[in-house]
Amino acid sequence: MSSSLIQLKNVSMKFGGVTALSDVSFDVKEKEILGLIGPNGAGKTTVFNVITGVYQITSGEIIFEGKSLSGIKRYEITRRGVARTFQSIRLWGDMTALENVITATDTHKKSGLVLGLFGFPVSRREEKRDKARAQELLDFVGIGEYSDRLAKNLPYGVQRRLEIARAMGAEPKLLLLDEPAAGFNPAEKVDLAATIRKIRDAGYTVLLIEHDMSLVMKVSDRVVVLDFGQKIADDSPGKVQDDPRVIEAYLGVPENAS
Amino acid sequence: MINLRDKGAEIWENQGRVGRVVLALCGVTVVASLPFLGGTILNTPIADYESVLVYPIAMFVLMAIGLNIVIGKSGLLDLGYVAFFAIGAYTMGLLGTKTGLNTWEILPIGIAMAMFSGIILGIPALKLRGDYLAIITLGFGEIVRIVALNLGALGRSEGILNIPTPPAIFGIEYTFDSHRIYYWTLLVLILLAIWMVRRLSARRAGRAWESIRQDEDAAELLGVPTFRYKIWAFVLGASVGGAAGVFYASKTLFIAPDNFTLQISILILACVVFGGMGNIWGVILGAVILGYLPDRIRFISDARLLVFGLVLVIMMNLRPDGLLPRKKREKTIDKKDAT
Repeated sequence: MSSSLIQLKNVSMKFGGVTALSDVSFDVKEKEILGLIGPNGAGKTTVFNVITGVYQITSGEIIFEGKSLSGIKRYEITRRGVARTFQSIRLWGDMTALENVITATDTHKKSGLVLGLFGFPVSRREEKRDKARAQELLDFVGIGEYSDRLAKNLPYGVQRRLEIARAMGAEPKLLLLDEPAAGFNPAEKVDLAATIRKIRDAGYTVLLIEHDMSLVMKVSDRVVVLDFGQKIADDSPGKVQDDPRVIEAYLGVPENAS
Repeated sequence: MINLRDKGAEIWENQGRVGRVVLALCGVTVVASLPFLGGTILNTPIADYESVLVYPIAMFVLMAIGLNIVIGKSGLLDLGYVAFFAIGAYTMGLLGTKTGLNTWEILPIGIAMAMFSGIILGIPALKLRGDYLAIITLGFGEIVRIVALNLGALGRSEGILNIPTPPAIFGIEYTFDSHRIYYWTLLVLILLAIWMVRRLSARRAGRAWESIRQDEDAAELLGVPTFRYKIWAFVLGASVGGAAGVFYASKTLFIAPDNFTLQISILILACVVFGGMGNIWGVILGAVILGYLPDRIRFISDARLLVFGLVLVIMMNLRPDGLLPRKKREKTIDKKDAT
């Protein structure tokens, strides 16, 4: 497999006396789908929050493409190539689906407020290109027909997919998906798995948090398991499933064994 | 209740380029001819009708457009907007009486001063959100007024007297009582402000503000430099307030700290909320009504403010999103429904 896109080195995150992440190290390799699983409260979303700069880590280091991400502004982290979706949907409801995506594509654009004001051709051309690009992304995740609808009025499943399209709009190298299949029925989950693979095939690297085991095991190239803020496994899906520590974390220890 | 905003938007969108120009010209002509309707039902008892058109109406409209960038577009609650108005006015007062500069030369300086103070206020204040931001801006508005009240160079409570009127431009003379000339000049400023806001709203800046208003954290995590855009909103809002201030001083020829109380901030905020936060036409309509109404019903003298308050309460209950709420139609759905 190719080199690491992002590395977490001995990352710890403490909130007062509570340790959310304790000495967690793992990496995501380029063009891989890495599943991040663990019981509720294991620290999965905290991992996303420290990578995207929502929290400053207490100790350790996060290296993205060879450079540390610590102390960097959140929007700069996105500009470097990390974008995420949210577990609880956080779209901009009063904007259309297309506008949601375009706003994220603005991330890398030079022409700012002043150019836009006077309507220079550069700005107008960019505007046109961005629209086309955003529409492509909506089509890509399979919700192209909803582009003119307000995000808040979209069906739940479409909103979830729009979250993905919006994150892709920021042109990330690393895409962080936080429970993208939450609330989906089995058929929708199968569809989503196909979409996630398609995203990887398009050249993105995916870090996926998901509770649905069959989905994670099916799409992931590798799986990292967290439990109480610690990494307890990091292996191929098949091996992780048989790992006694993982089974213990999810199901508890049989009484007669302890 | 019929949806005026959608009707208006529909008419506009169905026009071609020529149709739009014609419509816009008609609109401007109607608005520009308002000073000639003094003898009609529109007339304000007691207060001079044409003077009411200039202040409060046109002045409120200009300021409401400016404040709408901050509150309506970006969702930043600014309770001290009068500060920028005051800074523009005092720049005019000071430079107009102490130097040989005329109003047209001072206008860009006043705007620059207001923008600069927008940055000074914005850098510490915009790190905070919601209620905290509101309190800081409230304080800022009061600080500016109290500084003017205590600084000898600004005339303390006596204010600044004998501020010059604007010199003639294109052969048009400004005299103290030529209200309609001032009104038309303000109209030009208002049109410029409308152009600026509409332009920006349709582009990157508008989207950035919109995303900040709706979910600032999500915006930042998707690469929107939120702090920078919030400062821009503040600065642009301030520039409009500053321009209004310069012109106000040059119209009334006399300014004092009493002209720049918290009440102005609140009234302009009321215009924005009453008209429809985030929708420039709503905001303009709100400012026109709230500027005009107190003078129109001046004949009931003491009960005036009571009626004014009642109208506000009733209207906000009937239309909590304002007279013309922010535009949010779904084009495709409309088409589907039609077929």
